[in-house]
Amino acid sequence: MSEQQEPIIQVRDLHVSIKMDEGTLTPVRGVSFDIRPGETLGLVGESGCGKSLTSKAIMGINEKKCHSDGEILFRGDGGQVIDLLKLDPRGKPIRAIRGKQISMIFQEPMVAFSPMYTIGNQINECTMLHITRDKKESKAITLEMMKKVGIANAEKRYDQYPHEFSGGMLQRALIAMALVCKPRLLIADEPTTALDVTIQAQILELMQQLQKELGMAILFITHDLGTVAKMCDRVAVMYLGRIVETGTAREIYKYPRHPYTRGLMGSVHKIGSRKLDRLYSIEGTVPLALNLKPGCGFYDRCDARVEGTCDQAEPDLYCLEGTHCAACVHCRKEEKAK
Amino acid sequence: MSEHENQAVLDKKALRAQKKAEKARKKEEKYYLASQWQLMARKLGRHKLARISLVILGFLYFVALFGDFLAPYSLTDYDANSKDLPPSAIHFSHDGKYVGPFIYRTEKQTVKMSVAEKSAAQRAAKERGEQYVPPTNIVTDETTPLRIRWFVHGASYKILGIFESDLHLFGVEGSAKVFLFGADSMGRDLFSRIILGSQVSLTIPFAGTMISFVLGLLIGSVSGYFGGWIDNVIQRIIEVLNSLPSLPLWMALSAAIPAGIPPVQMYLLITVILSLISWTGLARVVRGKFMSLKNEDYVMAAKLAGVSDMKIILKHMVPGFMSYLIVNLTLGIPSMIIGETSMSFLGLGIQAPATSWGVLLKEAQDVSSIAMHPWCLIPLFFVVLTVLAFNFLGDGMRDAADPYK
Amino acid sequence: MGQYILKRVLTFIPILLIMSLVIFFIIQLPPGDYLTSYVAGLKAEGQIVDESELDSLKERYGLDQPWFTQYFKWMWNIITRFDFGYSFKFEAPVWSTIASVLPMTIVVSLVTMLFNYLVGIPIGIYSAVHQYSIGDYCFTFIGFIGMAIPNFLFAILLMYGTYIWTGTAFIGLYTSEVLVGLQQGTMQWWEVLGRGDFWGRMAIPIIVIGTSGTCGTLRSMRAQMLDELGRNYVLCARAKGVSERRIVYKYCLRAALNPTVSGLSGVLSHIFNGSTISAIVMNLQLVGPMLYEALKAQDMYLAGTILLVMGFLIVLGTLLSDILLACLDPRIRFSGRRAE
Repeated sequence: MSEQQEPIIQVRDLHVSIKMDEGTLTPVRGVSFDIRPGETLGLVGESGCGKSLTSKAIMGINEKKCHSDGEILFRGDGGQVIDLLKLDPRGKPIRAIRGKQISMIFQEPMVAFSPMYTIGNQINECTMLHITRDKKESKAITLEMMKKVGIANAEKRYDQYPHEFSGGMLQRALIAMALVCKPRLLIADEPTTALDVTIQAQILELMQQLQKELGMAILFITHDLGTVAKMCDRVAVMYLGRIVETGTAREIYKYPRHPYTRGLMGSVHKIGSRKLDRLYSIEGTVPLALNLKPGCGFYDRCDARVEGTCDQAEPDLYCLEGTHCAACVHCRKEEKAK
Repeated sequence: MSEHENQAVLDKKALRAQKKAEKARKKEEKYYLASQWQLMARKLGRHKLARISLVILGFLYFVALFGDFLAPYSLTDYDANSKDLPPSAIHFSHDGKYVGPFIYRTEKQTVKMSVAEKSAAQRAAKERGEQYVPPTNIVTDETTPLRIRWFVHGASYKILGIFESDLHLFGVEGSAKVFLFGADSMGRDLFSRIILGSQVSLTIPFAGTMISFVLGLLIGSVSGYFGGWIDNVIQRIIEVLNSLPSLPLWMALSAAIPAGIPPVQMYLLITVILSLISWTGLARVVRGKFMSLKNEDYVMAAKLAGVSDMKIILKHMVPGFMSYLIVNLTLGIPSMIIGETSMSFLGLGIQAPATSWGVLLKEAQDVSSIAMHPWCLIPLFFVVLTVLAFNFLGDGMRDAADPYK
Repeated sequence: MGQYILKRVLTFIPILLIMSLVIFFIIQLPPGDYLTSYVAGLKAEGQIVDESELDSLKERYGLDQPWFTQYFKWMWNIITRFDFGYSFKFEAPVWSTIASVLPMTIVVSLVTMLFNYLVGIPIGIYSAVHQYSIGDYCFTFIGFIGMAIPNFLFAILLMYGTYIWTGTAFIGLYTSEVLVGLQQGTMQWWEVLGRGDFWGRMAIPIIVIGTSGTCGTLRSMRAQMLDELGRNYVLCARAKGVSERRIVYKYCLRAALNPTVSGLSGVLSHIFNGSTISAIVMNLQLVGPMLYEALKAQDMYLAGTILLVMGFLIVLGTLLSDILLACLDPRIRFSGRRAE
């Protein structure tokens, strides 16, 4: 991939906190990553680790009670760098970026469309907002994109309502809606979790193909490691609101360093494994990100914990070979040795 | 301290710590194992308005329960010299001396007039087209303080309908009467009447709700369970009942109550009339829930496991929407209270000698009587308070019953 | 769509028939009938009773026959001759008796309904969009109070208030001049609508009758809007770069209106409830007081017809709301039934 190119988006030390009666909940605690044009970054983690909140923070569409801190530097069309967090989340400047420069595919296509309007109307709204005010031209662009994502009979489908679509077709429509303005960054928040396996594969292929055509960057959020291996150039593993390991997909798959990543890898079913082998499962549950104890967030569930070290302070991200980094005390020695 | 003792202390400490940990674990376990109802109660407790409402309603029902004891006078006590008296002023010191709470005897007395004056006034009233009412003055005798006493003997009644008693929480010495909320046009104590009226006003909606609960559950489940033409017929009937405005229908039904039947029967009939119309909403909900739950996976699973139909309904389906039903019932109570009040106000509901808040409000029928005796609006305060409390409670319960909140 | 409407209209007829049966059953419940007690009263006073006229009335409405025979006669006369029976109390055919109050009742109901929606919906939207703001708290509080105060007492309080502030007591919908005109037939009801003083007098009744319904609409609108604002498609629309305003009005409002529209018949029956009792208290020339009189005097055909007309109007409202709903929600249009 193009290492030299300037990253299209740089997330620096992102915190998302929610004020509640019981205290402040901080589901995202200091997340940083870059994505370059044409690159796909996979953000992996179990449910509730803060993946979705991170992606929504980039879009600026988190609920009002969520407060985001840090920097989200976005390189616009003309090369100017904008901190998205500084923009008013309801204001005009960010609305011009949303949908046009950065767009998002949501998890459940069935509820991402309003049941009250036709699919065509809802996709076309995006075109009308960002590309052209001319109705005919805009419809033509919309129809073209609908055909591109593989919606057969697009002219007829244009005037149909969401309840007349199947799940897979709706996801295609959702992708069409996200891509109709040819965004430079696409955030895909578990785009295939709600779909059948066969349709999943089709949708993933479609996304890859469109990425090649449009040259956009993708932030791919999922908890499915198989999908990550297929789609992503680089991977960031999230646990309890922090990135615990990053690196290229190859690095992470071949040599997972963080105990959590290793656990994740162990819990994937592999073809060829014997029936009698039990799937590995990580013990315990994710603690609530409310009034956290000091020390590593994975401490209680880790089988390689070092008492007296791991429960004192949260480990930094230590860099190993290449781009591979992991936030575990066991990696500190290696970094020093290097 | 010997080694041995030291060890014992340490052991004790360890044991205590262990017990503490055990307790904490149990508490946590309790949280996770709490039943649906316990969770609901906990959430309801956190809802501030609902909590306050619950306390208020508890207080009102308590007062109604022991109304005969708490009210200083009975329903039939009246005093011709106390018509439309304003609320009694409670004093504490007489002639600069503290004597505790007391009142002065206050009465209405006809103004003494000469024959000529009287006939002139009569003529003037006739010219205005009004009936002649002899002018009265309110006279207060400030010479003797009449102490308010606790636990006095008065009109007899039965506690909870069982034990005979004539004890009242408070009363005044001598033959004078204390009117905390003023007196009505017949010289009856409004305070006592509000308390005694609450026994009707607060229980009718409750009893009515119970009846409509049974009707709604029964008819709704029959409709939802059998489906087909039975369902069709029931649905049409519900549609018809829903298409009729409730108040006119209540009026028509209560017009059929023969005049002069005993109060208990009248009470029952009014209750039945109120609930005859309000079961429809509940039946719809029950039917809808039945229809949707029938296809739910867990019901299917129970069926496959060989559980009998009756058991599926009672063990798996009804608990699934019970909380929903109770919320619905609570939210239905206010309209019954208002319905009873409106009908009694119109003279189509509860009738004298029995009383309810609606009957008391009859005194506030026109602007001039409110202007002259504003205290006749006090029952309104209690109606609004009760309705609001039920509304807030229902709202809180709805939030508590919602598992997604 | 056309088929859907036709289907709804067809279900309209059996409902009306069942309704008329239920109503007739209820109004004949009180023992005895008006004629018998009327004749007894006349005879007691020693007056001469025209037996032949009584007999013809009895024969015409089948008064000495079982109630379902009476019902069939009544229905038959309505369907074939548009004859709703005879009002014994007002000594005139029922239809001409209620014709003097019915138009104004419908006018007041419609205006109240307008008031209900024009006030309830915008405030509901405002409350939902500005949830937990001071304005929201105020409106929620007013909404609760408005629902808790019984109509008739609200009427008295308002009348008392205007009496204190303006010094004039509120008396009925019409000025005495109009009232006389209407009674003598020199004036028609639609002429009244053109008078400014009429609309001024209408304000209090509309507020009285409409408040509790408006508060209900407000609360349900707020709840629905909050529900819709929390849906995923809102997030999706935001991600497209759609403005908040447009999200609220294009997406949420249309979906949130759905239950409000389907509650139209409920609002109408609420208005009839309110107008019945408030009209009695405020002495308005509407059908409410007439129904009250009729019920007290056992004037069964008059009472029955008034109930029937109210029911008919509410069923008509249901029909309208069904059609409106089908226009609003494509899912209903296709599946052909209401989403419950």
